[in-house]
Amino acid sequence: MSKITINNLYKIYNEGKESEFQALRGIDLSIKDGEIVVIKGVSGSGKSTLLSLIAAFSKPSSGKILIDGENISKLPDIFASKFRNEKIGFIFQSFNLIDGLSVKDNVLSPMVLTSLGQDTINKRLKIALNLANIEHKENQNIADLSGGEKQRCAIARALVNNPSIILADEPTANLDKENSLKFLEILKKFKELKKIVIVATHDTIFDELPFVDKYVDMSDGKFV
Amino acid sequence: MLNRNFLNFSVKLLLKEKGDYLFSFIIFSFIIFIVTSVLFISESIKRDLLVSLANEGQIIVKNSKGGRYYPIDENYIDSILQVSGVDDVIGKVDGYYNFAQDRRFFKIAVDDDLNDTSMVVSSDVYDILKEFKYKKEFNFFVPNNEITLQIKEVIDSNILSNNTIFVNEDIAREILQMDEEDYSYVVILVPNEDEIENIALKIPKIFPDALVLPNYEIESDYDNLFYYKGGVFMILYIVVLISFFILLKNQISAVYGTKRKEIAILRSIGFSIKDIVLLKFIQNNIVAVGSYFFAIFFSYIYVFVLGAPFLKDIFLGEIESEIVFSPILDIKMLFLVFIFTVIPYLASILIPSWKLAVEDVSEVMK
Repeated sequence: MSKITINNLYKIYNEGKESEFQALRGIDLSIKDGEIVVIKGVSGSGKSTLLSLIAAFSKPSSGKILIDGENISKLPDIFASKFRNEKIGFIFQSFNLIDGLSVKDNVLSPMVLTSLGQDTINKRLKIALNLANIEHKENQNIADLSGGEKQRCAIARALVNNPSIILADEPTANLDKENSLKFLEILKKFKELKKIVIVATHDTIFDELPFVDKYVDMSDGKFV
Repeated sequence: MLNRNFLNFSVKLLLKEKGDYLFSFIIFSFIIFIVTSVLFISESIKRDLLVSLANEGQIIVKNSKGGRYYPIDENYIDSILQVSGVDDVIGKVDGYYNFAQDRRFFKIAVDDDLNDTSMVVSSDVYDILKEFKYKKEFNFFVPNNEITLQIKEVIDSNILSNNTIFVNEDIAREILQMDEEDYSYVVILVPNEDEIENIALKIPKIFPDALVLPNYEIESDYDNLFYYKGGVFMILYIVVLISFFILLKNQISAVYGTKRKEIAILRSIGFSIKDIVLLKFIQNNIVAVGSYFFAIFFSYIYVFVLGAPFLKDIFLGEIESEIVFSPILDIKMLFLVFIFTVIPYLASILIPSWKLAVEDVSEVMK
């Protein structure tokens, strides 16, 4: 059985208005546990919209997103947020870290919603920092990090709650070649950890990677 | 989800922007400090007046001729005692002594526990007497006589006693040159409250020159007086509070972009709308409730320990005396201040935060 099943998914912005725009048009997709999927497409093709729907940031206009058999597309905010906190790790193009906080505080931010003990939290923090190879900057302020380090901090934050699904939206768009390659190494680690990873990108560095299970091309809100 | 981790995180986010929050804390504390000080002063004065009134029976009767007060004689007492419903009528002696050396008047009041050679003075009176070397005793000069009294005790000045000298009744009569059968005014004790109004209406029929003051009328005069003063300050307070919220709104707008993104980041890692509102509630509660208690503590010190310099002059005029306001901590009043300060503050922060939290996360992230 697939871990993620997407059926006939539509997302229409400004529905019924003159400025109506169909961002997704009838998307179908199945992803099994431990699969890495790369969604390729130019800007505006609908990749980010698809990821935001899988992360339950917003609701589709029609269609279903089943994760572990549960339809998350119509969840009320409180359950959608819980789902996001427990099952999703999101890596953004622009890192989206909280300015003024340290690496440690940023990485631990998803855990403040849990009531886990300090020992468990410290253990999870150590694992996440280690996987993202940023443990040496644990107490550093975000403002003092390079772009690559910020990206690794964002990856550690995405991993800290041990989610089963990692979503990465243009993860290498703000990175140089060296850091982009480092990201690919981390992607391999995700594969070893049997995480589902969905990468939305137009970066050619992701082309023909042996550990990627599925490549999907998107254009005009559809898979082509 | 409120737990220790959540609380710690809220405080960390607050400390991250301590400059902004400190600004709000200081301005907000100052506003609460001013309004609470005004209310402390007016409540304290009102209470002192009402306490003194409570000791004065239910009706006060003074004698007047041509609009001027005249002593009231014992015939009044006997006649008023005949009115049904009156339990007792007590003659009171008070008046003013002209302390010509300093061109001021001292109030002379009666304390029957004192003997013929002693007096009790307020700290204000004592300070004045000391300037004229009257440290242990004082000489009252009356026509053809000089009365020397020892200063037995110095009491704290309050709004009623700041210029008062207490002596026994015989001495008071001597100083005020009142005959034995004369009184400054009389107080009437009426056990049944429902009869006060009727009795107050009957007395002028017996003595057309009598000025009759039922206690409820005096109480209502005090209430009106302080409502008026409180009202003026309340208008000023509302103006200041509105200015503060405009300032706060501008401050929120200035950081709108940053806050919007921060809230979207928190939403993306699993914070629900409720969690965001709770987080902002915790942060701003620390500021608002902290300011509230901080301001109340300092306004208590300012009014009841330091005697409310500057503000006192607005209430009592520019008097030199060191009046001590009787300490009063009216929970209802403090609750009212809380409702009109902390609640609008929290609402002004939480509503924009909620509006940011309900925005589409993916749109904000873009």
